[in-house]
Amino acid sequence: MASHISTAPDHRPTFQESASQLIARGRTSAPASPARLWIVVLSAVTLVGVVGVAGRLAGGFADRSAWGYYAAVVSFLLSTAGAAPMVSIAPTLARASWVRPVTRVSQLFAAVGVVTALLYIPLVFALPPLVEDGVRRRSIWFGAPSLTPHLWGTISVLGLVFIGLALLWSSSIPDLKAVAETATGLRRRIAGRLSMGFIGTDTQWKALRMRIGVLGAFYFLFLVFTHIVFSADFAVALVAGWKDAIFPMYHAMTSLQSGLASTIVAAYFIRRFGRLERYIELDQFWAMSKLLFATSLLWFYFFFSAFIVFWYGRTGSDQAVIDILIGGPYRWAFIATFLLSFVIPLFSLMWNPVRHSIKGPTIIGSLILTGMLIDRIRIYAAAWSAEGINDRYLRFVPATHWPDPWDVFVIVGAIGAAALAFLLATRLVPAVSLWEIQYMRLLTRPVRFLKGHAFIIAKPD
Amino acid sequence: MQQHRELTERQINTQLLNGALATPAWWKWAVIGLGLIVLAGFSTFGYMVNRGLGVTGLGRPVFWGVFITTFVFWVGISHAGIMISAILRLTQAEWRRPVTRAAELLTVFSLITALTFPVIHAGRPWRIIYWILPYDFSRGVWPNVRSPLIWDPAAIGTYLTGSTLFLYVALLPDLGNLRDRTTGFKHGLYTLLALGWRGNSRQWRLQTTAGILLSALMLPIFVSVHSIVSWDFAVTPAVEGWHSTIFAPYFVIGAVHSGVSAVVTMMALMRWLWKWDNFIRPEHFDALARLLIVVGTAWFAFTLVEILYSLYSLEGQELAFRDMQIFQWPWALLFVIFLITAFFIPVPAWLFKRVRNSIPLMFWTSISVNIGMWLERFLIIVPALSRKQPFVYVWGSYHPSLVELTLILWSLAFVGMNMLLFARFFPLIPLFEQKESQAFSSRVQIGRASVPAVLREREQE
Repeated sequence: MASHISTAPDHRPTFQESASQLIARGRTSAPASPARLWIVVLSAVTLVGVVGVAGRLAGGFADRSAWGYYAAVVSFLLSTAGAAPMVSIAPTLARASWVRPVTRVSQLFAAVGVVTALLYIPLVFALPPLVEDGVRRRSIWFGAPSLTPHLWGTISVLGLVFIGLALLWSSSIPDLKAVAETATGLRRRIAGRLSMGFIGTDTQWKALRMRIGVLGAFYFLFLVFTHIVFSADFAVALVAGWKDAIFPMYHAMTSLQSGLASTIVAAYFIRRFGRLERYIELDQFWAMSKLLFATSLLWFYFFFSAFIVFWYGRTGSDQAVIDILIGGPYRWAFIATFLLSFVIPLFSLMWNPVRHSIKGPTIIGSLILTGMLIDRIRIYAAAWSAEGINDRYLRFVPATHWPDPWDVFVIVGAIGAAALAFLLATRLVPAVSLWEIQYMRLLTRPVRFLKGHAFIIAKPD
Repeated sequence: MQQHRELTERQINTQLLNGALATPAWWKWAVIGLGLIVLAGFSTFGYMVNRGLGVTGLGRPVFWGVFITTFVFWVGISHAGIMISAILRLTQAEWRRPVTRAAELLTVFSLITALTFPVIHAGRPWRIIYWILPYDFSRGVWPNVRSPLIWDPAAIGTYLTGSTLFLYVALLPDLGNLRDRTTGFKHGLYTLLALGWRGNSRQWRLQTTAGILLSALMLPIFVSVHSIVSWDFAVTPAVEGWHSTIFAPYFVIGAVHSGVSAVVTMMALMRWLWKWDNFIRPEHFDALARLLIVVGTAWFAFTLVEILYSLYSLEGQELAFRDMQIFQWPWALLFVIFLITAFFIPVPAWLFKRVRNSIPLMFWTSISVNIGMWLERFLIIVPALSRKQPFVYVWGSYHPSLVELTLILWSLAFVGMNMLLFARFFPLIPLFEQKESQAFSSRVQIGRASVPAVLREREQE
């Protein structure tokens, strides 16, 4: 049987090449000059966002509808950057080998969590308490103290950010050691301190793998918990009569789709501008595009599961929910989301040549991210402008709440800040994990199987 | 992987055809025993048709009892086949290979069994015709095609057709094998069924393509079947606890939990009865248990969110229903048993490698899951209908009668007997999958260790 397998030339970078290219002179994979330019540009964009946040804060918290776009942006970052590390966690737990070159790309999004957490702080103050004027509104916290959603929302968001950063740090320790050995100055000192005396003993590797596994599992659980809490308190509970058990799962599932899209887009730029074509190959885009296709199908499934129940239910609250989220003033947003998050990904990714390319999944990923932003605007701008929070169901569907200049500044600035945080993180930690690449090289061999190209992948317990 | 033992093709043929080409001593007695129960079931059904539905415990207001519960249960079990065969085939999970046939078979027989229950439930089975034809030609009263009750048979029928095709296509190479090893009537039968299978490269290519295409095509049907079953309930706002947007994915994930557990039960039985220790190894149970941990935990999360959101509405009737379902006798006891057997015993147990690798423990925990999952469906259907409703002036508690219990037992025996009959003529483990598995497996030398490895196609630009 084994005679079908024959050896094939190995064109992959050697251990030495990988070490020198991924941690060249202690720098990360991004060449210095363009990265510096981008840092300057993104810092300027971030400043615009800071102005936007200041403007929003100056307006106070009395007008809740003014915070709708702000909530949408926080949710957008929580969904895209928050879920991106899952791209490394799930396949790693399933022992998939293809993911190794992009694990770091996805984990670097944990750095964006800092931006999400900072943006989240003002939003907590905008969220109404459970009891106002002696009247308790409906919430998933029932009779709990009035600021319970504020507390648990904060715990969940900060917890997610903390676990994400711990995961990024843990999985970077071997690379940080390599950086510390080759870098100079501040970077050497930081990397040396963060590598925690790692010298690659058997015990250290075992502990490292266990830590990554445990943190990965915790991250997933916390991600789902955060989406349940955030979606319930910052969207569902603000619209009278909106009872939608699938919504937290829709929120979490769509975040997985956009986390995947974020990783694909980031992997493309890192590959292209970091000149890492030999590390992030077609295999990674091919595998991720299949997952993107599956999550796009799930997008529709989760949406339709809710829609059909509302549609058939025909109760007052069912019809009001359809009006406010789908058929009413935010119909444009729903149509855009439907096209960008489902129709276009479905009908393009079902096509082999698109999946079997690098640009195809990247373009689709960008469209999905756009769709995600519009989706979150549809949900949060609508929910935050709804009135009669204590009514049995929504009696008046509010008109479309269009963004003011502060909202535009916040949206642009938040996205810029997210990109900046990601880029800054790549200045310290290699954007492609050196140890994962070395490990992959150790465990895989390119071979010929009959006339085809294949890999033999070792599966140690 | 570590337990893998290389066998020659002759050994694979001999060992896997030991059920189809010879009759094990126990087989006859098992078939007779199950056949007697099946006979008792048919007699009971005849008695029920003769006497009417009054011999069951059904009555106002509980018109859906254990028949519908068992219908949903078997539809759930049927999700095993596509989960194992299609999804794991598309994700190239190597450990699926010895499990696929049994899972597909379980799908086919459980669907057939599921389809009988609405017929049984109708009381007068001939009236099923009104599902297709108008009630009254002259007045043009047609069945309501917009009702999920009409979609049900269509979806299940499509799923059954597709699953049978799926099973048959995968059976072709083994039928060719059996044809070449038999004489007389059996030879003629296998020749007819093998459709001229010779095992040339064109046939293999077609067979592989058909397998992949059917896998992809079956996935939407797989999801739609239990979703539609869930909408039988969810689109009914009048019954507390049913009108929930989460029902579709909740039912599907529950079905996968239940179906994969049933496959574990079957695998353990196959290993014990046919002594297939070389093919069904602890590593397969380990992989299935890992899958079940994820599925079971996701299902539990859906359960919690479903309950949380039903309470969230704070509507009096909904709260009263949940109070009854969770805290009042006898539902409270069933609810506790349901949670313990479906989640709290099996899932934490599977976290331990010793349990995952113990076949008796896997057998009993998988049975525990299905006891819990049957109770889950019962607790969704019956307590909700048992509650006193406005304008219902006759109500009472529901107790399944001996007739109903006999028919539940019949369904278990019917599936078991059909499986045994199938095993008498066809191999329960695909021979070609075993051989392909050996062709795709290899070993990689890493340092001093020889590590098991698998072959994977490599994507090239």
